[in-house]
Amino acid sequence: MKIPYVDLSYKNKSINNLISIFKNILKKGQFVGGEEVDIFEKKIAKFCGTKYAVALNSGTDALTLALHLLGVTRGDEVITSPNSFIASTSVIVHLGAKPVFVDVLKDQNIDPSKIEKAITKKTKVIMPVHLSGRMCRMDEIMLIAKKNNISVVEDAAQAIGSKYKNKLSGSYGHFGCFSAHPLKNLNALGDSGYLTTNNFRHYKKIKSLSNHGMENRNVVKNFGYVSRMDNIQAAFLNYKINNLSSIIDKRRENFLVYSKYLDRKNVFFIDEREDEFNTYHTFVVQVNLRDKLKNYLLKKKISTSIHYPIPIHLQPASKYLGYKKGDFIVTEEQSKKIITLPINENLNIEQIKYICRNINQFYKNL
Amino acid sequence: MKVRYSYLPQQFSKCDDLWIRLKVLVKSGDFTLGKPLKIFEKKFSKLIGTRYAVGVNSGTDAIKLPLKAIGIKPGDEIITAANTFVATVGAITELGAKPIFVDCDNTFCMNVDLIEKKITKKTKAIVPVHFAGYMTNMPKLIKLAKKYNIPIIEDACQSILANINGKNAGTWGIAGSFSLHPLKNINVWADGGIITTNNKNLYRKLILLRNHGLIDRDTVKICGYNSRLDTFQAVVGNWLLPQAKSISNQRIKNANFLDKEFSKIKEIIVPYRPKNFKIVYHLYIVFSEKRDQLYKFCLSKGIEAKIHYPTPIYLQEAYKYLKYKKGDFKVTDEHCKKIISFPCDQHLNNKQLKYIVNTVKSFFK
Repeated sequence: MKIPYVDLSYKNKSINNLISIFKNILKKGQFVGGEEVDIFEKKIAKFCGTKYAVALNSGTDALTLALHLLGVTRGDEVITSPNSFIASTSVIVHLGAKPVFVDVLKDQNIDPSKIEKAITKKTKVIMPVHLSGRMCRMDEIMLIAKKNNISVVEDAAQAIGSKYKNKLSGSYGHFGCFSAHPLKNLNALGDSGYLTTNNFRHYKKIKSLSNHGMENRNVVKNFGYVSRMDNIQAAFLNYKINNLSSIIDKRRENFLVYSKYLDRKNVFFIDEREDEFNTYHTFVVQVNLRDKLKNYLLKKKISTSIHYPIPIHLQPASKYLGYKKGDFIVTEEQSKKIITLPINENLNIEQIKYICRNINQFYKNL
Repeated sequence: MKVRYSYLPQQFSKCDDLWIRLKVLVKSGDFTLGKPLKIFEKKFSKLIGTRYAVGVNSGTDAIKLPLKAIGIKPGDEIITAANTFVATVGAITELGAKPIFVDCDNTFCMNVDLIEKKITKKTKAIVPVHFAGYMTNMPKLIKLAKKYNIPIIEDACQSILANINGKNAGTWGIAGSFSLHPLKNINVWADGGIITTNNKNLYRKLILLRNHGLIDRDTVKICGYNSRLDTFQAVVGNWLLPQAKSISNQRIKNANFLDKEFSKIKEIIVPYRPKNFKIVYHLYIVFSEKRDQLYKFCLSKGIEAKIHYPTPIYLQEAYKYLKYKKGDFKVTDEHCKKIISFPCDQHLNNKQLKYIVNTVKSFFK
């Protein structure tokens, strides 16, 4: 049985739907900004339970604009976790600020008990990353932030629809930043992202910042960026958002199949806690002999992935920050053990059982 | 009669073959840095005449990324035109560098003679803006830049296929920056941009910078950005590129017609058209002392005239901190009062062109 890690191809019926959506846009000739973008912003704000949303060019840009607006600049510090995708750190660096890493918990999310020690006078923002569709412990984080008068930007790129204590991702912090990259649960046909907020003033400012800082066609209020969601991608997302809940449900079902058939003696993962609602953007488990397992599965035609094998603080680009091996023990340990198993909504039960059988077999063979 | 400014619905009214290509893409799922993008980059570099091209998210990023790649950092000074669109300056300030403005001449581009006295120790790049389909006097600028050893990044966002003595915009500097925004001569269905260069090292750096600095899936070599041209848009670009030359030729033909007719109206001044320049008329701009009234009159007659741009960048609120004041750039200021843009695109018909001329004539009668 051949199991790809992801399957982004669209089938004929949905392709025809898409083409008619695009033709509609073409007729109006409105490609940059436009009706579909406005509709998407309303829909996604409603979905996330926030007052406002702004559609942008990427999840990376959502983080950049949020930090920029909160005044993050040269010399400031932003606290985040070192096991994320590189984008959450590079946005901090590009603003001239310093990323300050805090190690993670067993569930790969930032450890709130270690945040306070990392706070200095220069700390402007805490940026928790909801890795793999599981949310950070936002109540504790918000409390720490409030106590220290620091803003919170949620990197929710992987966590649309995830909940913690019954509250949705993107609705806890000052901003929630999301990606709609093709690999995400709510995915466009190219780079796209969006940001949520409850603050009207922030909302207005982000809108302008994403469009050259322009107030109208001729007046530039502040220096800005070009980060607009394509109208055509917005149209596509408006079509896809209707299926988002069922996509999440299917991924959650897939997780249950895994948890039933994987032999926990060899495979470590944390079940959903009672106060969580996980959306399984990825399904990351921790194992011994990770690389061998990965090769074994590949021979069985099962594609897997690793998110991420080199922690950010050990990347060549981070050298200047002066971190070294051993600085974040949990992250570093995990980076050797983590492997991401396919969990996308197009998989069927038989395929997942096949994956589980092969993993269990691998460890039996040892 | 109506003469609209945007021709987008017309341009893509018959493109069945493009729809087929898009269906193939959607079926394949190859959306990020996909095969059609590589093809587009190859074709584009061939069209312009450089060794490499790199597709990015916007024309703005097409300026920003080369600046970043050559090491521009906070405190550096970058010389550019005082009359450009905000994006040129946005790209500079985003990197923390300081824009140093130079007035334009009667070609709407930077007056190269005014540059030398603005050069300081901090000057790290010159960004000439090839405005409205014109070109900056590149032979002169290249000489100056060589003398001081300052790299040039051409803002060619509005000037695809413009040339001087047959040498295209985007081939003179270390990099050329192009926009593929829906309103540009070569346009995709969204924000998009592309960078041309002959420099292999720069090319490699740009490839890293646009994709998070990743050398492979797991290793981050430099701190990068997320600025990729969507593969989807590259499919649109690939469809459009074979028409590139005919698009600019048709625009030139329309502009020549308007030039000829407008030069018969004494209240309209047709800008200087240097003989050895190929101007591609992304914008068709003429001067009028009675600009505001003429502009209103044209709108009332169904002609969607425009003004590019009524407030010069150096007087915008966002750039107050640079401490320029009114009168610092006399030619730019003069232009702002007199310029008016008329539709000139490849989808206009003769009747519409004549209607523009007759409307302007009737206004001055």
